[in-house]
Amino acid sequence: MMNPRIDRATRVIVQGITGRAGRLHSRLMKEYGTNIVGGISPKMEMQEVNGMPLFPSCEAAVRATGATACVALVGAMQLLAAMREAVAAGIRYIVTPTEGMPVHDAVQALHLVRSAGVTWIGGSTPGMAVPGVAKLGFLPNDALLPGPLGLMSKSGTLSYESGYRLAQQGVGQSVWVGVGGDPVKGTRYADLIPFYAQDAQTEGLLIIGEIGGHEEEDFAAALTAQRFSKPVFALIAGSSAPEGVTMGHAGALVHGSHGSYASKRTALEAAGARVYATLDDMVRGVCGVLKKK
Amino acid sequence: MYLLEHDAKALLAQHTIATPDGVMVENAHDIAGMQLPAGPWVVKGQITAGGRGKAGIIRKAQTREAAAEAAGAILGATVKGREVRAVRIEQQVRGAEEAYIALLLDAAEGAVRVIMSASGGMEIEAVPHDEIRSAVVPLAVDAIVKCMQELSAAWPGAKGRALREAGERLAHVFVEREAMLVEINPLFVRADGSWVAGDAKLVTDDNALPRQPEIKALLERRAAAYPEAAIKLEHGFDYVVVDPEGEIGLLTTGAGLSMMLIDELRQQGLKPYNFLDVRTGGMRGDPGRLVSVLKWMTEGKRIRVLLINIFAGITDLGEFSRLLVTALRDVRDLDVPVVARLVGNGLPEARPILEKGGVHLYTDLDAAVAEVRQILGRERGVAR
Repeated sequence: MMNPRIDRATRVIVQGITGRAGRLHSRLMKEYGTNIVGGISPKMEMQEVNGMPLFPSCEAAVRATGATACVALVGAMQLLAAMREAVAAGIRYIVTPTEGMPVHDAVQALHLVRSAGVTWIGGSTPGMAVPGVAKLGFLPNDALLPGPLGLMSKSGTLSYESGYRLAQQGVGQSVWVGVGGDPVKGTRYADLIPFYAQDAQTEGLLIIGEIGGHEEEDFAAALTAQRFSKPVFALIAGSSAPEGVTMGHAGALVHGSHGSYASKRTALEAAGARVYATLDDMVRGVCGVLKKK
Repeated sequence: MYLLEHDAKALLAQHTIATPDGVMVENAHDIAGMQLPAGPWVVKGQITAGGRGKAGIIRKAQTREAAAEAAGAILGATVKGREVRAVRIEQQVRGAEEAYIALLLDAAEGAVRVIMSASGGMEIEAVPHDEIRSAVVPLAVDAIVKCMQELSAAWPGAKGRALREAGERLAHVFVEREAMLVEINPLFVRADGSWVAGDAKLVTDDNALPRQPEIKALLERRAAAYPEAAIKLEHGFDYVVVDPEGEIGLLTTGAGLSMMLIDELRQQGLKPYNFLDVRTGGMRGDPGRLVSVLKWMTEGKRIRVLLINIFAGITDLGEFSRLLVTALRDVRDLDVPVVARLVGNGLPEARPILEKGGVHLYTDLDAAVAEVRQILGRERGVAR
């Protein structure tokens, strides 16, 4: 079973830590509580970034620190190579926020992590968080609150908005996973159903989807097949998107009936999920079930 | 990027996949003096969406005059929200049978799905299940070629041979061009065993453009045909005009939240003009992106209000507000009221900057939308 939970003992390294995003987000993650034990800098022009030691390779970093997780903040065209290096070094959990990984590279990456039994979240993900404990990536603190809701999302911003509004109503999250907006990805909604089913903290599950592909439909089928018994809520963006145009995310492309809003909504409702047309309705719906009196 | 049929066929032809002779025409008046392939013809509207036959933008023509007339009727039509800016005038293929072949990325498996059928010409969903052969194979030329040979063996004679030959060549197209989908429907098969791609649908991966120079060159050459991908390539962010008649310009970041906002506005009977994921993180202290977007919006002649929605997880709203006010001052032509809804990092600093710049600031999205509705003089509408 794929288990996305991390805690403060999880040792994390950051690839691309000397870049602009790497410096900023390694610091923000550390401040939130994530146990960042080092970063990778092949050139080794410095010894440390924000007090975190640098290593010339993943292999050296893993040997020195015992790291098991990594966040790759490298360019899209370098991402596959970075993932290969991490897996070869023995990393078991990889989060790749980078946007724009070529899809054929993502296919190679998926085979790599599957054959090695490594958990991969991404690409084009804002990351994941166990609120109040630690986060990998850059989910904004304003939206994070410990609570009963399992949250999975393709979109970053729409999940921030949703998490933020729910948090303001007092409904927080158990484990928040940004599965990301790419068509081929390490972790799909359906992959995490067994985890959320047995996770004691999780009392309900919200998926934030969007048009394109058939990940929401696959998720709906898996809910039924696995008899998932906790309440499921869904918000799907893109009901009014034009056909044949990529809406920001590489995965968000409708052609013909393939990937359409109607197909997703129908499948989710048939599986017993509550599907909402607006953010406001979704917040009310989730609060109606999960908000403690 | 969903390629126009004409461009997809040009690309397939490079992989020795036969296509009917055809020319691309943007102005019906040009047809009279033009060198056309031998007739009769099919005049086909070029848009990046399927269902063109049903939409009436594929017509047959026996004479040059009829072709010009058909082109005149098709050019300028709006189908699925897109204006038809070009037609392909193509030699008709007659006396041939139709088959179907496609390769598509199976995202869940991280592999390629190969689909074949000896029936073509219609949507594959309409083909009886037992007439379809399908398999999932690894993303590699050798594996796909082997699969093509095995699947096509189901049909003896000319059809099976045509499917095999076309399939072997499509394997190279799919892998070498980093496609997400390639479909030939119909694949015309003649009694003598020769075959030709009647239609071609090719979706390539925008993310692979840095190492696909030929597709990149096509995009640069004909940016007007692919406005969204061209903007992404040149500017590094996403902008899509969703309704040329739209009344609300949207300045938003994040693909999902931007899409959701458009959905919600439409449910209220309002008319947003554009989708935008401006990626504030990529602005780096320069108002250039905002200036570009505001200038593009001046093409939306019906825009009467600008709505800004930014959820700032990391972005500093103080800096964003300074850049916004600068950009609004630069683009005088977009003279409409500005309503902003900002949440997150640096809001206290943003407030006085926006006030001075004449921007109405809200922290609640529904309140911001209510003001937009008031500016447009609309009561809360009903869902379409």
